[in-house]
Amino acid sequence: MEPGAGLQQPPPRRGLGLGPGLGGGGGGLGSAGGSPSLSGPQSRRRKQPPRPADFKLQVIIIGSRGVGKTSLMERFTDDTFCEACKSTVGVDFKIKTVELRGKKIRLQIWDTAGQERFNSITSAYYRSAKGIILVYDITKKETFDDLPKWMKMIDKYASEDAELLLVGNKLDCEVDREISRQQGEKFTQQITGMRFCEASAKDNFNVDEIFLKLVDDILKKMPLDVIRNELSNSILSLQPEPEIPPELPPPRPHVRCC
Amino acid sequence: MAAPGSEAEAAMAGPEELVCAGGRNRKAVLCQRCSSRVLLPGAAVFARKELFLPAMKKKTALAGGCDPEGDILQDHWLVDDMFSFENVGFTKDVGNIKFLICADCEVGPIGWHCLDDKKSFYVALDRVSHE
Repeated sequence: MEPGAGLQQPPPRRGLGLGPGLGGGGGGLGSAGGSPSLSGPQSRRRKQPPRPADFKLQVIIIGSRGVGKTSLMERFTDDTFCEACKSTVGVDFKIKTVELRGKKIRLQIWDTAGQERFNSITSAYYRSAKGIILVYDITKKETFDDLPKWMKMIDKYASEDAELLLVGNKLDCEVDREISRQQGEKFTQQITGMRFCEASAKDNFNVDEIFLKLVDDILKKMPLDVIRNELSNSILSLQPEPEIPPELPPPRPHVRCC
Repeated sequence: MAAPGSEAEAAMAGPEELVCAGGRNRKAVLCQRCSSRVLLPGAAVFARKELFLPAMKKKTALAGGCDPEGDILQDHWLVDDMFSFENVGFTKDVGNIKFLICADCEVGPIGWHCLDDKKSFYVALDRVSHE
C-alpha cells in the first residue's frame, strides 16, 4: 500500500493567504511555557487512555544528494548510529508529535535519501504529503541549481495544497557559503505559498522550527471541519519498497546561468 | 531511592507494577537514553511474546549477515496503530521486520514490527524506561 493511501486531500489550493510568519511572534505557535518542542515534556498523568492525536500529517524531505536531508530527520548522529549501518539499515520514517494551537498533531516524516534521482522518488511519496521540505546546501551551488527540477516534480506529483518549505541547510558552514540568503529568498518568492529558512542540522539550529513552521501553515489553511474529518479518514500505512531501485549517482544539471 | 533506571525498576517491581488493571501501561514509556516520550500512560497494552531484538547500540547488528547479538525478550507494550506513538522511529525493512528506535536519539532497537501484521507494534519493556 502507498503512504497515505486513503488519506483524503482537502479542497484548498496552493496560494491561499499565508498569514503572518511564525518568526514575528504571531502567537499560534506557543505551547505553554515558551519554546515549542517536538518531543517536549508534555507530561500528563492520567488514568484514562491518552487523548488521541487531533490530526495526522505526512511530511516528506526532498532535495539533491548530500544536502543533509537525513540529518534533518536524524538529528543526533552520535555513536548510537554508526556510519556503516546507516547505509545498510537506517531510519525509514519517524512519528513525531507536535502540540500547536491546542492541537495535537502526529507527523509522519519521510526522508527520501537514496532515491535522489529526480524521477526515482515514487510519486506516492508526493501524493500523500501534506508538507514538503525541499532542501539545498548553502555551500554547494549545484544543489541550489537543482531546485527548479525538484519544483517540477512537486508540480507534477504533489497535492496542490501541500505546504512547501525551502530549507538552506548547512548554516554551520558559513565560511563555505556559495548561495546567499537573498538568493534563497528570491527563489522562494517566485513560488506561491512557499516559505524559506536556513538551518543547520549539525548544530540543530532551526530544525524543530522547520517542522513547526510547516505544521502551522498547514493548520492555518485547514478549516476546523476538515481537521475533524482528517482525523477519522486518515489512514497512513507503511511505505512499500520503492518501485524503482535507487540509482546513483544522480544526474548533474547542466543548466548554468549565463 | 534516587532515580532508578528502568531495568532496576522493572526487576524490583515486575511488570505488574507497570501494568494497570485494564492491562494498559500505568506509566509513560520513555527512551532510556534521552527520555524522549514514546508512549503516554494508557496508550498500550501489555503483551507477552517471544521476540528477538538485536543488541542496543550496535546498529551493525541489524545489518544481518551473520547471527547478530541480541536478546529474546518476552514482555512488551503492544499498540495496534503506529499513530498511537508519541515519538518513535522505524528502521528500513530487515526482511519483513521493521525495528523501532527512539525518534530523537535513535537508540535501539526498542521494539519490533512485522510487516505481515499491520496492527501490531511491540515495544520491549526492557528496552525503555517508565515514568
